[in-house]
Amino acid sequence: MRLALYVTCLVDLMRPSVGFAALRLLESAGCEVVVPEGQTCCGQPAWSAGNRALSADLAKKAIAELEGFDYVVIPSGSCTDQIRNVYPQLFAADAHWGPRSRAIAERTYELTTFLADVLKLPAVPAKFEGSVTYHDSCKGLRGLGIKRQPRELLMKVNGLALKEMSDCEECCGFGGAFSVKFGDVSTRIVDRKCDSIAAAGADAVVGGDLGCLMNIEGRLRRRGDETTRVLHIAEVLAGGGNS
Amino acid sequence: MSAVKHSQAMHFQARAGEKVRNPVLQRALQKAKPLFVGKRAKGVAALADDGLDFELLRTTCEGIRNRTLADLDVWLDIFEERAKATGAEVLWARDGDEVSQLVVDIARRHGVTKAAKSKSMLSEEAHLNEALAAAGIRPVETDLGEYIVQLAGETPSHIIAPAVHKTIEEVEALFAREHGRPVETRTSADIPAMTQEARAVLRQHFLTAEMGISGANFLIAETGTAALVTNEGNGRMVTTLPKVHVVITGIEKIVPTLEDFATLMRLLPRSATGQSISNYVSLLTGTRQPGDLDGPDKTVFILVDNGRANLLGSAYQDMLRCIRCGACMNHCPVYFSLGGHAYGWVYPGPMGSVLTPLYTGIENALDLPHASTGCNQCGSVCPVRIPLPTLMHRLREEQVERGLRPWSERLALKAWAWIAGKPLLYRWLTRRAARYLNWLADGEGRIRILGLAPEWTAGRDLPVAGGQTFHELYAARKRA
Repeated sequence: MRLALYVTCLVDLMRPSVGFAALRLLESAGCEVVVPEGQTCCGQPAWSAGNRALSADLAKKAIAELEGFDYVVIPSGSCTDQIRNVYPQLFAADAHWGPRSRAIAERTYELTTFLADVLKLPAVPAKFEGSVTYHDSCKGLRGLGIKRQPRELLMKVNGLALKEMSDCEECCGFGGAFSVKFGDVSTRIVDRKCDSIAAAGADAVVGGDLGCLMNIEGRLRRRGDETTRVLHIAEVLAGGGNS
Repeated sequence: MSAVKHSQAMHFQARAGEKVRNPVLQRALQKAKPLFVGKRAKGVAALADDGLDFELLRTTCEGIRNRTLADLDVWLDIFEERAKATGAEVLWARDGDEVSQLVVDIARRHGVTKAAKSKSMLSEEAHLNEALAAAGIRPVETDLGEYIVQLAGETPSHIIAPAVHKTIEEVEALFAREHGRPVETRTSADIPAMTQEARAVLRQHFLTAEMGISGANFLIAETGTAALVTNEGNGRMVTTLPKVHVVITGIEKIVPTLEDFATLMRLLPRSATGQSISNYVSLLTGTRQPGDLDGPDKTVFILVDNGRANLLGSAYQDMLRCIRCGACMNHCPVYFSLGGHAYGWVYPGPMGSVLTPLYTGIENALDLPHASTGCNQCGSVCPVRIPLPTLMHRLREEQVERGLRPWSERLALKAWAWIAGKPLLYRWLTRRAARYLNWLADGEGRIRILGLAPEWTAGRDLPVAGGQTFHELYAARKRA
């Protein structure tokens, strides 16, 4: 099985360890993983801003470099949602790019969905001493139906205890440009998320989208919480969670 | 457009800032949110007790609304004909000013000095209370929340819970002032007593008002009926005691049959308050007939366009399915961080972020379609499946198409997309950016103030990694 790993622009710039964790996980599951060289960004920021033309340009670029693989795997629900759900909309009336975007969409999976539902991973190569609480990111949860998969995988981690927080499906307030445009509103929203995390009392908060995690980590630290770790699920599953 | 002069939607950003920093408001909102969300969840789950499936019902209700909208003119004609046959008068209003004019005319013709009102968001669109007062007619809001808001000289901040932004202390202060008594210390245990107090005052208004003004949750075409869904009973008083009853409602509120109404009622109260059915459901048909114990001598329907007809056949037609349950705002993280007043016009929350630009002009509410994290908590609870995030997104696209976005944003986006289209340049720049961010970070890998994104670091740190990009590290690893 030959697959393309699309690391996302945020992981590339802000937290490379997530990309390497995903790589390790997929390789240890026996996949041949290629990191297509030209990849930059899926174009979601332009799409969210309402700029269809710019987002279509970047979508075409991504489609072209992701073709020719059995699967495309992405350690982000948000970017996966963009490729799976938005690309086919962008090119619905396009005779050339329409079929190509639909073909890519069908083969593109968010990391935990791919591990749990496609590979049906029987075990994960990880140990984690402590408890974690899982934040369901909006695009993954409501756009792709990701809910069971990350929890199934976390339960396979040696030593890990899952402590659900209340309102785990509530938005963290990130919303891409929203957190920069309406910073104070975003802060108010993430404060409620931090309250839920604090009440759950887990050693770490884990999620599948780096944007949400940066928002949560940034706010936890600013509030003075220096101990609750904030981890991408790839990092936990690949065994880097306690490092 | 008369709506524009009243809209404060262009000040969303500034108002939002005030609202997040208002501790009294934040306390009120924090209290209300879990109640709304919890009650609805329970109400929807209880559908299974009646052997009903929520998703199936949503599809059915969506279908009823879509079919009605597809032939809206026909159903409106049928409604008008049937309503007239029951003795009611049917009038049409293009906009809010026409609504106010019509109501004032009716009031003058009948020598009205006081009008008792039950909840009507359309009367807010029309700024009817101002128009009545200017004409020397006293409007009295009789929904408890609306009464509180009127005493405070404010507007509703929620479409079904108009005073949700008020704390009990604030309400106590208003009641003490209005009812001429000293302020007392109140807890939630005193709510029944405070309600009784308002009730005693309102009772006198019901008995003395010459005109009752209500909205309608639905208009039923086959019988020419207005359906009213309420919890306090004030709706019944307003619509049966005064000799004149005026119903003001939007043209999209129509449903073809009683059967359709009954189906929609499966979801409306549950989505709004979690109730399987509201305390009162009134079906008001025509005027008082010989032998009737009560009812108005004169019933007038004012059916209002105010921007609705423009949405028919447009990319935004789905919005006209809205049955005004409030579930979208009750589940909105942005709404519950701000309350409704930040949105600047009649309708707050996700439905308001779509309706305000559409009814008052896209150029007059630029922030609202962006006032969303895109979480789709609204869309996933909407009982008639309105794709609210999609409609907000469509409005964002229209802003771009019409050149309404600020030049700085356009330029930044263009530059970024151009760079993202050139992998070699992109790699070089992101490497530089990673170094720069790492240089800005303190010893714990965090940036506390970032000039490029001050809004971000005003409320939170920016966690950064070790100064190298993934692709840079990956290339090095492959070479090794």
